[in-house]
Amino acid sequence: MRMTLSSVVIGSLLILFAIIFIAVVLPYADTNKTVPSEIFRSRDAVEAAGRKLYIANGCVYCHSQSIRTIDWGLGAERIAQAGDYLADQPILLGSARTGPDLSQAGGEHPDDWQIAHFINPRYVRPLSIMPAFAYLGDENIKKLTAYVQSLGLKDADRRMARQRHWKIEATKAYEAGPVANVKWLHDMVPEGWRNVPNPYPTTEAGLARGHKIYQDNCLGCHGPIGDGMGPAQPWIYPPPLNFTILKDRDVSGGILYYQIMNGITGSAMPYFKRELESEKIWDVGNYVAVYFIGETDANADPRGIDASYEPQ
Amino acid sequence: MSAEPNSMTPNYYTAKGFCFTSAFWMILATFAGLLGATELMAPDLTENIGWLVFGRIRPIHINLVLFGFVTPGLLAAACYILPKLLKTELFSEKLGVVTVVLWNITLVAIVVTLAAGYTQGREYAEMIWPVDMGVVAVFCLLIVNFVMTVKRRTEPILYVSVWYVLAAVILTACTFSLGNIIWRPDTGSLKGIPDAIILWFYGHNVFGLLLTPLSAAVTYYVLPRACKTPLYSHTLSLLGFWSLIVVYTHIGTHHLLQVPVPTWLKVIAIVDSVAMVIPVMAFLINIWYTVQGKLGEIHADVGAKFVFTGTIMYFFVSIQGSMMSLPQVQRVTHFNNWVVGHAHIGVLGFAGMIALGGLYYILPKITGKPLFSRLLADFQYWMILIGVVGFTVVLTIVGLIQGNAWLNGEAVYRILPSIHIYYVARASIGLIVFTSALIGVYNVIRTLTYQPKESAT
Repeated sequence: MRMTLSSVVIGSLLILFAIIFIAVVLPYADTNKTVPSEIFRSRDAVEAAGRKLYIANGCVYCHSQSIRTIDWGLGAERIAQAGDYLADQPILLGSARTGPDLSQAGGEHPDDWQIAHFINPRYVRPLSIMPAFAYLGDENIKKLTAYVQSLGLKDADRRMARQRHWKIEATKAYEAGPVANVKWLHDMVPEGWRNVPNPYPTTEAGLARGHKIYQDNCLGCHGPIGDGMGPAQPWIYPPPLNFTILKDRDVSGGILYYQIMNGITGSAMPYFKRELESEKIWDVGNYVAVYFIGETDANADPRGIDASYEPQ
Repeated sequence: MSAEPNSMTPNYYTAKGFCFTSAFWMILATFAGLLGATELMAPDLTENIGWLVFGRIRPIHINLVLFGFVTPGLLAAACYILPKLLKTELFSEKLGVVTVVLWNITLVAIVVTLAAGYTQGREYAEMIWPVDMGVVAVFCLLIVNFVMTVKRRTEPILYVSVWYVLAAVILTACTFSLGNIIWRPDTGSLKGIPDAIILWFYGHNVFGLLLTPLSAAVTYYVLPRACKTPLYSHTLSLLGFWSLIVVYTHIGTHHLLQVPVPTWLKVIAIVDSVAMVIPVMAFLINIWYTVQGKLGEIHADVGAKFVFTGTIMYFFVSIQGSMMSLPQVQRVTHFNNWVVGHAHIGVLGFAGMIALGGLYYILPKITGKPLFSRLLADFQYWMILIGVVGFTVVLTIVGLIQGNAWLNGEAVYRILPSIHIYYVARASIGLIVFTSALIGVYNVIRTLTYQPKESAT
């Protein structure tokens, strides 16, 4: 084959146009008929403004919005559908998970947690490598928060309604004073859990593990000495719990375990069921009990069957 | 260095301009990469400096590498190769210089707009409309200059490098305009899933229709010339050229295999990704058979050394890429640093190496004097080779840690401590590559400006 100017130019252009037809035009015709999914709703003006900030600051480079069948983490209960993205211009699927997927981030945390997290992510998540966004200013952070709280659309709205409902309850309890607050917190734990002591004895190794888990996950709000004065405290309301006033208030290992595992919706306390396995939750609970509360029920009665490997 | 006999003494202003452009922007491009890598390891280092936030630095890094360092480097060689192969001069050096100036203005605009947060938020298509127009304009100017150069040729045969250069600029002008949705200046995007499909069609074609054909053009010229040997096979060049355009353009959707796009489109993308073996091996077999037994000649010319290394990287990155398009592999590799490693082999190891090789190969020829320092060029070669291999090893390990952890139920947050040390290693390697860019620009500037001693030939 002898190549001429026209064979190169016209030939390659013809091929390109044919392939654009196959790989762009036909898929467009196919996907353009997508109907809204059951969670679809359009965004309000504040959420849309927040989305613009999300784009301008390159959030998309670290956060995907694309839940896959093989996912376990945040939002994995709902696989992404084409109908979720109908209003997204541009679509922000993302190509990397340097941070978590945000498809269903709306309502995962209350607004105050989100704002503290934007001011500096390490205030609430000590290991985070996300940049601080305090430079955006309070107004913009509110918009960005509104956008993040809309992720998941109608699903997010349901979670946000839950957050708002419990925020009122948690605030009421906090403002009624420590006694009422502790009672409320205990009442929120199902009866069966409240009487369960930490089944494992206090050991040096266990406390060391608890110390590390506390530093990696809890210190931002509850502070290095457990008095609730971590760096996130100025942004959080009701403020992070002060563990040092909990002595003689019947805080059982079971209560600590349940609240670490499940979080306290409405307050900034997130759940850790995805990130901490069972032993880690017992360990950090016992660390808080021993060092900050000043009393522990570790290995106290009632005990069930002994674990096969535990020290005395 | 014996200058080839030539009745005219072309000034090669355009090629020189692109050489300097490439060497200069390589500094900023690699610095942005280094800064981004450092922010991942020490996020509060640039706390609350908005224009240095990772989400703005990352697109600056990528766009500067693509359009500031690699593409101008390859175009510098093209502006020398085309006239040589066609036995004519570049149609218009004036137009060429205008192109170089406009290109640099566009690059400044890219940095300023992205740092200020003006972005369309689409990976590889971030630039806002006025900046897009600058890119389209430079490609149009290049098309005019290259096509007219071909028309004015005195050599009737079009060598394979010429095909690749023409296809690269013409097809990229088309896919860039399409992928950046330039008919919608306000958003530069479509709504929903179609936006993702068209974006990745374009995004992958930045490599498929711009970097790869330009790199192939430079390779097809530099290696046979450096080895003083004819090309192994015309048929393989034809097969490689046409199959590249047919196959590469189909595969963009392999970025969307885990997204709700039509299954038939995913099937096309996977099948063609595997079929990429055809253009890749047609090109590589052709080149490797051409230089068979001539590694001594390649080693003697630092430009050819860069280019030849680039072909090895091309082999690796292409086989890896075909493999990564398989859904079972993507379950582990998608969304993590494995892909970042892949991109570094492709753009720094393959296209970047060949851009530098072309640059060092033509510099003595367009300046009429030897390279200022062969030692520094060799030093840069080794730094980049170590950099590419280092990035590949480190980022692949990180990718495997992330991918396997996620697949088995670990949260993103939990594994951050286990990958931190690799982020430190990656930033350190970034420092090596950044340093190599400083050495490179020094060598290029000195080569362009120094006066050789009388004794030099």
